[in-house]
Amino acid sequence: MKQLKAHWWKFLGVAILVIVFLKGMLVPLSAGIISVSRNSAKPLENLQLVVKGYNTHFKDSKGPQAWLKLDSLYSIQCSSFIVADQTTATVAFWIPAGLPYEGTRAPLTLIIDNEVDGTSVLPFAVSFVVNDIASTGQGWNVEALEGLHERTHTTYPFRNILNETIRNTYFHVPLWFGMMVLFIASVISAIKYIRSKDPHDDLKSLAFCRAGILFGILGLVTGAIWAKHTWGAYWSWDVKQNMSAIALLIYGAYFVLRNSMSDNDSQARIAAVYNIFAFVTLIPLLFVIPRLTDSLHPGNGGNPALGGEDLDHSMRMVFYPAIIGWTLLGVWIAQLSYRVDRLKHKLLNH
Amino acid sequence: MTLSKEILFLIRKEFILEFRQKYAISGILLYVLSTVFIVFASFFQLPKQVWHTMFWVITLFAAINAIVKSFVQESGSRQLYYYQLVSPHAVLISKMIYNALLLLTLSILTWFALGFIAGNPVRDLSLFSGALCLSALGFSITLTFVSAIAAKASNNATLLAILGFPLIIPILMTLIKLSANAVGLLSDTAYINDVYILISIDMLLLALAIFLFPYLWRD
Amino acid sequence: MKHVFIRIFILLMLVLPFQLAAQDGADYSRSIGKIYVVVAVILVIFLGIVIYLISLDRKISKLEKRIDNE
Repeated sequence: MKQLKAHWWKFLGVAILVIVFLKGMLVPLSAGIISVSRNSAKPLENLQLVVKGYNTHFKDSKGPQAWLKLDSLYSIQCSSFIVADQTTATVAFWIPAGLPYEGTRAPLTLIIDNEVDGTSVLPFAVSFVVNDIASTGQGWNVEALEGLHERTHTTYPFRNILNETIRNTYFHVPLWFGMMVLFIASVISAIKYIRSKDPHDDLKSLAFCRAGILFGILGLVTGAIWAKHTWGAYWSWDVKQNMSAIALLIYGAYFVLRNSMSDNDSQARIAAVYNIFAFVTLIPLLFVIPRLTDSLHPGNGGNPALGGEDLDHSMRMVFYPAIIGWTLLGVWIAQLSYRVDRLKHKLLNH
Repeated sequence: MTLSKEILFLIRKEFILEFRQKYAISGILLYVLSTVFIVFASFFQLPKQVWHTMFWVITLFAAINAIVKSFVQESGSRQLYYYQLVSPHAVLISKMIYNALLLLTLSILTWFALGFIAGNPVRDLSLFSGALCLSALGFSITLTFVSAIAAKASNNATLLAILGFPLIIPILMTLIKLSANAVGLLSDTAYINDVYILISIDMLLLALAIFLFPYLWRD
Repeated sequence: MKHVFIRIFILLMLVLPFQLAAQDGADYSRSIGKIYVVVAVILVIFLGIVIYLISLDRKISKLEKRIDNE
């Protein structure tokens, strides 16, 4: 009981992380469309699309439906839906003679719906190429899509480039938040040291900094792996990547600074001053660059990570606890390091 | 003596010392001019992008070279002498102002040298000169303070570079966005926000430096 | 001698996942909806924490030695 009282936050962190791991790995992805066999359509043809689904249950479902959607008004309903197996189907469409608006080329979005999987969407699946510009509304469906199904059990959203890697949201993204929290804790301890001159505050600052660097490095490495397999390059010159890299450089320099001094008191004082000053120089990165460059990260530009509709309710319920869990783990790591340093300090000044 | 009088006195002292031992300033001038020459000799034609990149590379290294001597290369006994005579704040602020003026001169010189040899791609003169002023201010505040830290830690120039470069990057990245607008590489209409952010971060860093300096200096 | 083993162990642990991932080229990591990317990410985090533990372990050993000597 006494143990629990002193260490409750560690238990809490670990319990949260266990739930995050279980939920993060076990909840399935919702059904999605991986690919279609053709990428362009000509006027007045009978377009046969072989659709590859992911996590779909074409065989189990009754009455699957498919549409090619031009915009919120115009769409084409499929003329036939032939199921081969659970994830493969051939869908046929009668393509109209022309576009309802003037133009020669328009992207069509494929929508598939059945009562088991709910609705899945492949944006810009087929490009409709028209030779003559004259517009015709003939052959287009102007009624709103009706009878769409909601998926009944909890799933994570299917995104085309991300696929299963959307689960990294719970393992990679919280590292960044954890790193920032640890660095902020380090700065706060440095400020405390400057006011109190208590060497323990300096040791705390050092320990938080160490754990922050660990999280930063892990965040960068995992981010690079994730980026390689979704965006195509290890380093995609992204804002949060840059910011973590610079923060790592700054706090790496912090350790160089500490090691360049031997006197304990001045070491602690100068390191604290550098720590505070260095943290403030990071501020422009928080405000300026995200606004200017098109970040691949959530909330910036039109990227397929998360943010907006991407981070839906089912993910938020795991993502927010994940941030708390990883941060608590980081604080625990820092605390262990601090306790070792404290003992060492005590032994040296004995 | 009041603080402002002390600062003015110290700035004058810096100028006099600089002119007396000309090798320091002429070394930096030589660095700027020869780098510009080498850049031109290896590229012959400088597209806007290269011009812009080279400008900031040359300015950054000139800044580091110029500021190294502000605390790091000053002898301990001379420092001790100052701090008995004047307040530590006067020393810090005077060095910052002096360095800002020096950096502004250096970057304008780099601009002229690059412009003379490789043409001047700058479209928006007022924005570019504004970016230069902000860069002189930001670099001088950050690097002078880091120079003080390095001087206190081990008094060597390498440490200044190790500590200074990462701290400069965020400010430099913002400045590069601004000047890219001025050169015409970017067209961002909301650049005024960057100016505000740079000014406020400079002020914040200045206030922080003034607040933290006594802690650094207490021996 | 012990440190050499630890270093070799760390090196192995670092190299192994990439070796595995490289075996069948890009197709391997793209199979089953890129789930192996998630596995690699979790593995990296785990290894990072293990390396941290090893460094902490060595620090504590030094501390123990010092206490025993006194």
